[in-house]
Amino acid sequence: MSEYAISIASNMGMIAFVALSAYVVLVVGEISFGQQAYFGIGAYVSGMATAMWGWPFGFALVLGSCVAAIAAFAVGALTLRLRGLYFAIATLCFAEMIRLGLNSIHVQVEIDGEPVGPDGAEGFGDIRWMFEHDVTTLEYMFIIYALLGAVLVVLLLVERSNLGAVIRMIGQDPLLARSQGIDVGTCKLLVIVFSGMIAGLGGCLYAHFATYIEPNVFNVMLGVHALAYGLIGGLGTALGPIIGVVLDIGFLEGVRAIQGYRMIAFGGLVAILLIIMPRGILDEVRIHHIKRWLRRQ
Amino acid sequence: MLEVRDLVTVYGAIEALKGVTLSAKQGEITCILGPNGAGKTTLMYSIAGILKPRSGSVSVNGREITGSSAPYALACGIALVPENRLVFPSMSVEENLRAGAFRRLRGDRSAVLEDIDKAYVRFPSLKRRRDQAAGTLSGGEQQMLAVARAMMSRPNILMMDEPSLGLAPLVVSEVFSIISQLNKEGVSILLVEQNAHKALQIASHVYLLDQGRVAFSGTPGDIGEDDIIQRAYLGSKAA
Repeated sequence: MSEYAISIASNMGMIAFVALSAYVVLVVGEISFGQQAYFGIGAYVSGMATAMWGWPFGFALVLGSCVAAIAAFAVGALTLRLRGLYFAIATLCFAEMIRLGLNSIHVQVEIDGEPVGPDGAEGFGDIRWMFEHDVTTLEYMFIIYALLGAVLVVLLLVERSNLGAVIRMIGQDPLLARSQGIDVGTCKLLVIVFSGMIAGLGGCLYAHFATYIEPNVFNVMLGVHALAYGLIGGLGTALGPIIGVVLDIGFLEGVRAIQGYRMIAFGGLVAILLIIMPRGILDEVRIHHIKRWLRRQ
Repeated sequence: MLEVRDLVTVYGAIEALKGVTLSAKQGEITCILGPNGAGKTTLMYSIAGILKPRSGSVSVNGREITGSSAPYALACGIALVPENRLVFPSMSVEENLRAGAFRRLRGDRSAVLEDIDKAYVRFPSLKRRRDQAAGTLSGGEQQMLAVARAMMSRPNILMMDEPSLGLAPLVVSEVFSIISQLNKEGVSILLVEQNAHKALQIASHVYLLDQGRVAFSGTPGDIGEDDIIQRAYLGSKAA
């Protein structure tokens, strides 16, 4: 595999985490424009853990995703009563708060005579875990995909379970779900926390892949893309957002000939799909048909 | 028996229920009539634990459930078929039925499957469409599905909010005959209706709700004799 192919594939894998985290919130019936913040929190926290405090990579991953999950819990608890547009605005505001907050955070320690740590808008460099431990980009790509696979398996298992049915019920009609005796608030909060955790994990991986991060990486366009991936690929299964990521990054960005036109093609794709397939390629109805067809085979 | 005493429910500054007292006796069909904005739906939501009342009490067979959560109300045997939002549209008919019993699925799965089979016996048209997305059913079939799903929780009291809304007259008659049938099998019914004529035919007790208060309580026969009620709320002298 060429370095270029590895970097495209790794990018797809890492962005897929944000896409999945936006997807689970979409499934529970809300639109979040703030999933990039959890990605950013995961990136910064895990980067600090390995680069500044010398933590092992595994612990940094756990810490980064847990801090992101805690942030998601706080946001979820505060926005639980908000619906639709208001929820979307609240999450956007939160994400911008985090991004601007990162712009003014200066926490550095001296390591080998060099200052290491987040330096506001100057960013946070020298997250050198990969070099220090002789991890090749190819090996790192396998780490990304192993973790992504694990998250996907969990999501697919949840989707088959009672909890998955409950989450879809809330997404379709929260009031009707409540009259079936479902604790809508707790379930929503659970989903939001889980979404923060997934995005945070992706952020951890991103920080150690890029070795340099800055607050502007985690701007709202990342969150918008994450939403779009679910809406393109389909909201009927966790594989939907993956399809969205592959289409956008794998195809539009990966194929060099059309690279310059990526945003134009992507915008057009979103617009067309929203008209002809409002809930994406693999929406609930299509998934239902596929399952029935598989059962007959 | 469901008892509601001095129930007050507010939306911000607006008092939708201003102290409602009524009861639904075991094994009867109790009907609540009233114009738009009378508080009928608010009353149902308050009983089902979806809205929290400000004051007053709700009890089932002597057990206090005021202001409890929706899951608790359901566990106490109260099932609600909300108005106009009948089914989970992109879930299949069978998934909708399972949704009605999801609290029981973990415990006795086989009993739930039995109940689904019973629902199919009662509503053969649902069986033919078991794999179809519920949103593609006709209005009447969706109402049937909503009733069947509510029955999946094995309720003592079935609360139905305007089941005849938007249905063809023939289908309305079918819905009402199903309500009577369920009642004969021992389920108490609390019915909110605008279709007073139909509702009075099957009700054993009638309440008239107006602007958050009970304006009349009696049997359908009593209403027939009350000239003022007839003219003010029911439009014509039907009896």
